[in-house]
Amino acid sequence: MRLSEVCFRYSRRGPWVLRDVELTLRPGSVVEVTGRNGAGKSTLLRLLAGIVPPSRGTISERPRTVGYAPDVFPADQPFTVTAYLTHLARIRGVRSGAIGPLAARLDATPLLERRLGDLSKGSAQKVGLIQALLTPPGLLILDEPFAGLDAQTRRELPEIIGEIAAGGGTIVVSDHQNRLENFPGADHWLVGAGGVDAETGRGPRQVVIEVLVDAERAEEVERKLRADGHTTRRTG
Amino acid sequence: MLPLVCFKLAAYTRSHRLLQPMIALFVMLVVFYSSPIPQGKELTSYGDSAGLLILVFAWAARGLLDTEPPTQRLISMTAAGRPIREIGAGLLAALAVNLGLAAIALGLPLLHGFAAMPSIGDLLRGAALHLLGLGAGTALGALTSRPIMPSPAVSLLALFGGYLAMLLISLTPVGALTVPITRWMRAANTGTLDAALIPLTAATLFWGALGTAAYVRLRRTRP
Repeated sequence: MRLSEVCFRYSRRGPWVLRDVELTLRPGSVVEVTGRNGAGKSTLLRLLAGIVPPSRGTISERPRTVGYAPDVFPADQPFTVTAYLTHLARIRGVRSGAIGPLAARLDATPLLERRLGDLSKGSAQKVGLIQALLTPPGLLILDEPFAGLDAQTRRELPEIIGEIAAGGGTIVVSDHQNRLENFPGADHWLVGAGGVDAETGRGPRQVVIEVLVDAERAEEVERKLRADGHTTRRTG
Repeated sequence: MLPLVCFKLAAYTRSHRLLQPMIALFVMLVVFYSSPIPQGKELTSYGDSAGLLILVFAWAARGLLDTEPPTQRLISMTAAGRPIREIGAGLLAALAVNLGLAAIALGLPLLHGFAAMPSIGDLLRGAALHLLGLGAGTALGALTSRPIMPSPAVSLLALFGGYLAMLLISLTPVGALTVPITRWMRAANTGTLDAALIPLTAATLFWGALGTAAYVRLRRTRP
């Protein structure tokens, strides 16, 4: 996907939010977008998602399936979580069977029968993530996805991002909290002054170390490794 | 696009926003048909109903398009694949609601209101006039919906003001510059509707299409 000389402003006489942006997104890449408040991060994400067209310039080769999770999920809607996600699955042309496994992975199964309006901010954020992941996205746009999430989901989300990238999907994440700062191989974009400074990821090469531990100590060891910034996956 | 239309209709009905235009519709119908309409005057009555209910159709369309939170529209755009599908689904859902309201406006006087059953021809002419009314009303409602006019006060003033302007301008010699509401009312009253129906339909469709095209164009940068 490529952005060529992209400029954007919300009205004909309004100020330019972005000017002459030139960017390339490779399949399988993960991009962390940072910048001060009002710098234009959300606008850039909406341009990438195809929600708004650029005022000038072109965006080409956008993947067919786009998943978008906004920074604040719109919970003020008259549906239960299941009813809402079922509607979104139908809109995406997939069966609602995809909802259960995603909800389980994001620890959202107990939320399924609750009304959207009764959800806390973090729970609503999980619903926003599930709807974005209902079909394997070729382009996944996450606007501040870590805000309000519990510890388990904060740990799970980078794994999901890694899996989508491994499958050839492109992931762009606006990340005020810098949770993806050390994500292996991630590119980093700094939005500001109407432009985007892109820095290609130069993460360290990764290896897999298998560690055998007693079953009763597995939790403790896993916690220690994660606290040190390592990614763990339990088998057996 | 159909699942997105269903989603919007489900949100609209579950939010109870439908009650507002429904109540307005029934109040207007009670006023129209408080005394029995004499035989032979059914088409006059349908003509007035179609012209005056534009306001209710516009209100219903605006309410439906305002039901979703702004951020949900962004989600729907990406889920549907393209923004135009979300915009189109909103307009189709508004048309579907207004078809229901128009059916009530056509059917209720048959049960209570008309002294005698109108001819099939008059029933079809009445249906055609209501279709014109709902088309114009849907376009007006879309142009005053939240993505275009974020302030509820400005939006409501524009909706009522827009309708009043259409009604008043259509009374003047420059009536061709707007939806010909009073012309179709007059034609229905004087029995000249058959001769005037094609130009009236063309003029109404032109203004309705122009309003809808303006709405779609404006939504490009107002998702």
